[in-house]
Amino acid sequence: MPLSTEESTRMLKRTVIIAIFAAVAVVLSIVESIIPVNLQIPGAKLGLANIMILTCLYFLRGRDALMLVILKTIITAFIFGTFSSMLFSLFGSLFSFVVMFLVMKLGRNQVSLIGVSIVGGVGHNFGQITAASIVFQSSNIYYYMPLLLITGLVTGILVGIAVKYLVPSLTKLSLFEEFQINR
Amino acid sequence: MKRGDLLIIVIIATVALFFLVPRWLPGDESENNHNKLLTADITLNGKLYKTVELTKEEQIIEIKSERGTNVVKVHDYGIEMYDTDCPDKVCLTFGFIKKSKQSIICLPHRVMVEINGVQDVGDELDAVIN
Repeated sequence: MPLSTEESTRMLKRTVIIAIFAAVAVVLSIVESIIPVNLQIPGAKLGLANIMILTCLYFLRGRDALMLVILKTIITAFIFGTFSSMLFSLFGSLFSFVVMFLVMKLGRNQVSLIGVSIVGGVGHNFGQITAASIVFQSSNIYYYMPLLLITGLVTGILVGIAVKYLVPSLTKLSLFEEFQINR
Repeated sequence: MKRGDLLIIVIIATVALFFLVPRWLPGDESENNHNKLLTADITLNGKLYKTVELTKEEQIIEIKSERGTNVVKVHDYGIEMYDTDCPDKVCLTFGFIKKSKQSIICLPHRVMVEINGVQDVGDELDAVIN
């Protein structure tokens, strides 16, 4: 199918943005693994990579953000050598993506980026615990869910604030110029 | 911040506190269980690997599989993941557990430690006389 020049430039720009975001998300994951968080809460993490996923969801379409989520998960699994838990991590990320996408679609006027980010943080924790409970066929692991709701809430607010600062700065770049018109 | 955000925060915080607060309240279970030993089931790949009594004395159990090694340590009526060679080390963050229903999992190695109910010897029937 031949594309018009305008159309293909747009596609190219999307691809470039996804690639850059994936790279930044992976770097953020590495930075996060270096920061020692000694919370004594299993599975609790900052979720800095969600900054990029949420920003992508804001500028681009849902399927582009989905692509970013999958890319980021595969690359981090390569870097950390955690193939045995890659599917598990993908489950959390995908669940987080789906709830963020839905909340963004349904509650555009009622919910700001902070709310979407909170839902994403909590959704990630819920997805991971559910994956673990399926793998181990035990629901005892949900014992940690309430604590992870709280950590998801707090990290979600922090990530949301970061995205709130990032979006206006990116809007000034010419690469993102045409993607904000449809908002 | 919009109204929807506050609603989301309130709902999540309420649900979390609903489950957390009863745990913080001083329950009578810790008193009752004082002289009964709990047991912990260690499972590997979904199969029972070993059941241990959570004694005061120290016990060290090594769980070896083709995926790697986990070392759990029993002491002071509880159990903890002591060492592991798994890549993410999430299992070490579970800390020391000593209550029924608590668990430790190591996902990369498919190892799970679950504390079970009390090993109740007193309530069993001694004999039935017809």
